[in-house]
Amino acid sequence: MKVDIVTPEGALFSGEVDSIVVPGINGSFEMLNNHAPIIAVLDNGDIRLKGQQITINDEVKDKFTTKQGEVILPINSGTVEMKNNHVIVLAE
Amino acid sequence: MANLKDIRIRIQSVGSTMQITNAMKMVSAAKLKKAQDAIEKMRPYAEKLTELLTGLSANIDAELGGDYAAQRDVNKVLLVPITSNRGLCGALNSNIIKQTLRLIENDYKSQDVEILTIGKKAYEYLSKKHQVVANHSEIFDDLTYDKVAKVAQSIMNDFVEKKYDKIVLIYNSFKNAATQIVKTEQFLPIKTEASESNVVLDYLYEPSQAEIVLELIPKSLKTQFYKSIRDAWASEHGARMTSMHKATDNAKEMKDELTLQYNKARQAVITGEILEIVSGAEALKG
Repeated sequence: MKVDIVTPEGALFSGEVDSIVVPGINGSFEMLNNHAPIIAVLDNGDIRLKGQQITINDEVKDKFTTKQGEVILPINSGTVEMKNNHVIVLAE
Repeated sequence: MANLKDIRIRIQSVGSTMQITNAMKMVSAAKLKKAQDAIEKMRPYAEKLTELLTGLSANIDAELGGDYAAQRDVNKVLLVPITSNRGLCGALNSNIIKQTLRLIENDYKSQDVEILTIGKKAYEYLSKKHQVVANHSEIFDDLTYDKVAKVAQSIMNDFVEKKYDKIVLIYNSFKNAATQIVKTEQFLPIKTEASESNVVLDYLYEPSQAEIVLELIPKSLKTQFYKSIRDAWASEHGARMTSMHKATDNAKEMKDELTLQYNKARQAVITGEILEIVSGAEALKG
């Protein structure tokens, strides 16, 4: 599935992943392929991306950390929308 | 006719002014490029946010916007003029100041008006005669979303606490390097527009739709504020680039004129000298 992470200051990530964990306001949850369409509000926490090939633009590399094969991005708040296997995260 | 030395000094001074204005033009052109890129970069975020918000609010019948949409009798108004920190950018800042004064004197004549300035130019001018409650020129030093969001949050809180009944932004909207348009935009209360629902997908919502909308509205307000400031920032550099370009052209014209004058004066001096020598030689012969 495709994931786009955008902020008011530009896109941070765009690419294919196997799964994404987002810090929902009522607790973290994971989304896999073919997840039902959802809109959720995100809290302060980490977004975790899992996948075979996750490449991150050099310009924004310092915002991400990699741990045990997961790519982690901390956010303050945000919103996530998923439909048709396309996840869009509006992060702050 | 001025003497040769005077003209030479003037040519030199015009020449060095020309170098400065030309350098400023180059700097502004580079900064304008960056400012435009930043506007481009925030577009996907702003568009998605608006899409979500309109999609969601169309599905809910309830009174939307919560505290931010409260329409009260307008007694206290906060004006937020956004200008640049530095001058030499044509009529850009004076247009904003003029518009602010017009609003104070006409539209909000009978209301209490307070001003929050962004940019030194507005602060310097408006603080002399009017009540300026705060000045946030520092956000232009290093323009980030976080800084702008903080300022936006504080005026949003003021509105919710009923300190103001209406908040208006005045800024230059960037059209292109040569044209900036003064925009007067109502920031709060938000105008809820009835929109047609085109969301056909059945979404899961976490938490409820209404709560999501309440979460999204402040974000969208902050984004709107950020966009205004980004626009003003790009306008500043566009205007400076154009006015410095004109200044360079004018200096060049002036320099050409002075050079012509200089050459004429120099020729007159040479002619005079030759005449003297010739007549001196004639006198010796005789």
